[in-house]
Amino acid sequence: MVELNGTLLAQIVNFLLLVAILAKFAYKPLMQGLADRQQKIADAIDTAERERREAEQLKLEYKQYLVEARAKAQSIVETAEKLAEENKEEILKSARAESAHILQKAQEEVIRERELALSQLRSEVVALSMAAATKIVKEKMDTELNASIVSDFIEKLDDEKIGGLPC
Amino acid sequence: MEHGHEIGSHSLAHFAGLTFNMDTLIMTWITMAIVIVLAIAATRRIELQPRGWQNFLEMAVVYLLEQVETNMGSKGQKLAPLIITLFLFLVVGNELGLVPGFTSPTNDINTTLGLALMIVLIVHVLGIKNKGFVRYFKHFFEPYVPFVIINIIEEVAKPITLSFRLFGNILAGEILLLVLGMLVPYFVPTLWLAFSVFVGIVQAFIFTMLSISYLSNSMQDGH
Repeated sequence: MVELNGTLLAQIVNFLLLVAILAKFAYKPLMQGLADRQQKIADAIDTAERERREAEQLKLEYKQYLVEARAKAQSIVETAEKLAEENKEEILKSARAESAHILQKAQEEVIRERELALSQLRSEVVALSMAAATKIVKEKMDTELNASIVSDFIEKLDDEKIGGLPC
Repeated sequence: MEHGHEIGSHSLAHFAGLTFNMDTLIMTWITMAIVIVLAIAATRRIELQPRGWQNFLEMAVVYLLEQVETNMGSKGQKLAPLIITLFLFLVVGNELGLVPGFTSPTNDINTTLGLALMIVLIVHVLGIKNKGFVRYFKHFFEPYVPFVIINIIEEVAKPITLSFRLFGNILAGEILLLVLGMLVPYFVPTLWLAFSVFVGIVQAFIFTMLSISYLSNSMQDGH
């Protein structure tokens, strides 16, 4: 059962053959693969670390930007408020001036209208009084005054030969 | 062919004045073929994210590479293919005997002693190469000259313990599997079969780790 023979030598040869075959066909690609993987993992870790650092940097930058933007917005709002206040004052002032101007103009217009009405009234009164006077005078100086006036008129006609009509 | 008849007795072949156990050799060749196919299939395309069989094989191989690296240092890298092949051969060989109709090549003392002697031979050759002939042999006479007896016994014991441990475990496992199959069929042999799978892996591991340990002694510069 336990007997040593030539198998022992054959097994050593067999095994060394197997070692040679595996070393040639399996060991090299295995080591190459492991080395490649190690390299890839190292690269991936490096890349991740670098990107993380970049992200941190970016975060800081954006925080800075945000602070600046907030300050800027604040200042813009303040400026706008100030400007609006100023505008309001100006608009009120001009409105007040305009209303005063309009009032003054209206008053002048009223005064002028009154003047005009008064002058028209005056001339009306003159005409009326003249008509009344004419009426009164017509009653009194009928005969002699009329005659003299008519004659005067006729004389003047002679002088100037108005119309060139034969008389 | 009855299983009981097969275990322990070999069909012999004679060639060039030597006797060969043909069944052991055939099982060895089958084991070699399986190891080659598995190893090449697993390493044909090393994927970045290992899956399935490749993952398992890689786990074992990377572990062995680590052991080689820590025990033998960078000089041991040249021996890494030998160690890995040893482990794969022993695992596949041990488990092969659990497949009905097959026997383990490691249930033959010729296989295990052959491997153990080869390892011990490499240990001595490397020791001489590494430390020089005189320094290496002076090592056996330390700390005092009479210690040479103990040292020689130790060196002789190394291959014997290494080979008989594996041989005994695997042969006993297979014999017990058959005996249990005859005595209490189905359930108990199934349990023993499951345990034998475990034993096969553990014995392969022990053989490999002891080989690494022996080899690492001769790789060290000190002493």
